[in-house]
Amino acid sequence: MAESRDPLIRLGNIGRRKFIKYGSIAVGAGVLSACTRGESPAAGGSSGAAGGGDTVKVGVMYSTTGTIAIVEKSLQDATFLAVEQINEGKGPWAGRQGVGGKQIEMVVVNPDSNWDLYNQMSKRLIEEDQVVCVLGCYTSASRKSVLPVFEETDSLLYYPVYYEGNECSSNVIYTGAAPNQQITDSIPYCYENFGPKGFFIGSDYIYPKESNRIAKAELEALGGQVVGDEYAALGTTEFITIINRIKQAQPDFILSNLVGDSIPAFYRQYRDAGITSDQIPIMAYPTTEEEIQAMGPEYSEGHYTSFNYFQTVDTPENKAFVEEFKAKFGGNRVTNGVMEAAYLQTFIMAQAMEQVLAAGDEINTGTLREATRGQVFKAPQGTVKIDPDNYHTYLHSRIGRWGADGQAEIVFSTPAAVKPIPWSQALYKGRICVHPTPDDRSDPTQETGADLPVELLEI
Amino acid sequence: MLDFSLFQSHLFYLAQEAASDGGSGNFYAALNQLVNGIGIVGILLLTGLGLAITFGVMRIINLAHGEFIMLGAYVTVLMQEAFNLDLVLTIPFAFLGAALIGALTEVTVIRRLYGRPLETLLATWGLSIVIQGIVKILFTAQLKYVRAPSYISGNLTLISSTEGNPAVAISYYRLFIIAIALLLLALTTYLLYKTPLGRQVRAVAQNREMSKCLGVNTSMVDLLTFSYGCGLAGVAGAVLSALKSVSPPMGQDYLVDAWMVVVTGGVDKLVGTLAGAFIIGESNAAIAFFLNDPAARVIVLAAVIVLIRYRPEGLFTVQKRA
Repeated sequence: MAESRDPLIRLGNIGRRKFIKYGSIAVGAGVLSACTRGESPAAGGSSGAAGGGDTVKVGVMYSTTGTIAIVEKSLQDATFLAVEQINEGKGPWAGRQGVGGKQIEMVVVNPDSNWDLYNQMSKRLIEEDQVVCVLGCYTSASRKSVLPVFEETDSLLYYPVYYEGNECSSNVIYTGAAPNQQITDSIPYCYENFGPKGFFIGSDYIYPKESNRIAKAELEALGGQVVGDEYAALGTTEFITIINRIKQAQPDFILSNLVGDSIPAFYRQYRDAGITSDQIPIMAYPTTEEEIQAMGPEYSEGHYTSFNYFQTVDTPENKAFVEEFKAKFGGNRVTNGVMEAAYLQTFIMAQAMEQVLAAGDEINTGTLREATRGQVFKAPQGTVKIDPDNYHTYLHSRIGRWGADGQAEIVFSTPAAVKPIPWSQALYKGRICVHPTPDDRSDPTQETGADLPVELLEI
Repeated sequence: MLDFSLFQSHLFYLAQEAASDGGSGNFYAALNQLVNGIGIVGILLLTGLGLAITFGVMRIINLAHGEFIMLGAYVTVLMQEAFNLDLVLTIPFAFLGAALIGALTEVTVIRRLYGRPLETLLATWGLSIVIQGIVKILFTAQLKYVRAPSYISGNLTLISSTEGNPAVAISYYRLFIIAIALLLLALTTYLLYKTPLGRQVRAVAQNREMSKCLGVNTSMVDLLTFSYGCGLAGVAGAVLSALKSVSPPMGQDYLVDAWMVVVTGGVDKLVGTLAGAFIIGESNAAIAFFLNDPAARVIVLAAVIVLIRYRPEGLFTVQKRA
């Protein structure tokens, strides 16, 4: 002990050995946390080649460490629940077991909230683990990072997140909201109920900036005005400057596209600065039941969120989903829109796989893609359908007002799921996306130049 | 003190410029920004203080400092969940919890690496990942809820606008943070400069061998000092938990800021920490007012790099004989 407390910098044998020892502990821990991967306990069974044997291999790629784990861990939980129900024939899958007699085997990877790792890990899932498709990603930055991999290898990604649009890949099934299923209804709602002046804030990356750009075009088309447009670095929890600017600009409402740990910090400091929801309400997209639980409902009361799903949606499917989720992960957990999308897309994938196997085909990207087109599922939010034209999803558009219990009172809802339009019509009028049948991956965008009507799902 | 007054006059100039730009509204906005910049200063001081002990006094490059802040926040979460305690009452527990884990760290890791900065750096970096991982396993990755004390809410209005709205105001919770930070600064200064233990701590920092010869139990002094530094980080975590977010990676956010404060102010005197916090907090607020937050952060970080290029010992240092 006395030796190692020598204040001189030692370069002797002991020092070097200890350096290697402690150094490798430090580096090892880093590598370990970055690359933790293992098969999920819910999906035991022997591994087989893709489509062959008695399992179907599916990649699950969500970060469970790093800044974005706050959200992606919940997406992973919802995916685990869905796969467990499919493999054991429970919940929406009652009466069947697995897909066409095969169990779904998950290959779970953790990209550690690092956009480059998403790219590398998706390559490994596709090339080494030979999964038939991947469920994963949350941020647009990570989706953009893996998109070249999926397009080069012609593989399928099921992506469960509301996003900024402007994309229509043959290799992605988008089960979260397109701009017209979230922004297009919320901006007129704000304009009519709060006033014409909006102050837009967001985290500093692709999704919030694009989303706010679309919202700005929608607001200006109505005759409104954006009186402020501010971005905070991802993970920022200090909002003195932005709140000061809001006070100076005196807007009628705030549009927030802050994500992750910035959300509770902003809502708390907002009320702490003396601005109430009666004076300037916040309309947000990424603020969901989970973030509200973390900030405390007293800070969100009276503010709004626009989403496809809220825990308070009144359907028997949702009741069952909430119950089963709480039973598996704990009674204090809440469900939210992204988790519901991660849940429903797993069933859509399983239905498509069943259809492929029932037709006597092998599950590969081509057959799975064609089978996923037009899949209909009774999701917790209501009946949804994969649009056969653009691989986005018919979803309900809703606006919720947060109450004192941290749950949303739904103040606006479309009567049925809305047909997705990947491009904002306020910015790119008449641009649509129609993939050919069967999909040969040619350019699917078409300029119609026309005003597109709101199309509702008819079942 | 020269840099200090220069800086103040610079701020005054900025405020005047803002006033001439857009009339009184803009002047009040600038003033409000600077007053609220004090809120940032409080947080910087609070998070930097623990590091001023572990790095400033002990010269340990502790990259797990942010994790001790996080641990303090989680102790508060735990105390509130288990005993429904008020946030203010959880502060001593946050101190003890973080200090205890700090002591454990000192005995198992840090103690074996004194005088080897590179290895300490690697080991504490690894430790930060391990602590984050353990907290994630125990508490899940989800954001945690902390109940703010209801009696510290609202704003102190300094100047009202002509319509009677508060034009320059600062929230009581920010003032509470500043008060806690200054209290801890005073307490630490007292402990370090007015008590026998503090004298021993400074003696060990200056000459370990000689102190040992004179009968100072250096391992005990090291253990206590490091634990105290970690405990201060824990207090910061507890106090900040109600204003910001609580999640396993939250400490990373504070780590860089805390280092900037300590390096800018100089590590030999605690008043350097106060000055460092003030300079960084207010310049951040001032630059952010004219540009925006991400730009302010980049500029301040760049300025600190330039500063340590020309004054590696920081702004406030004791003259040393080589």
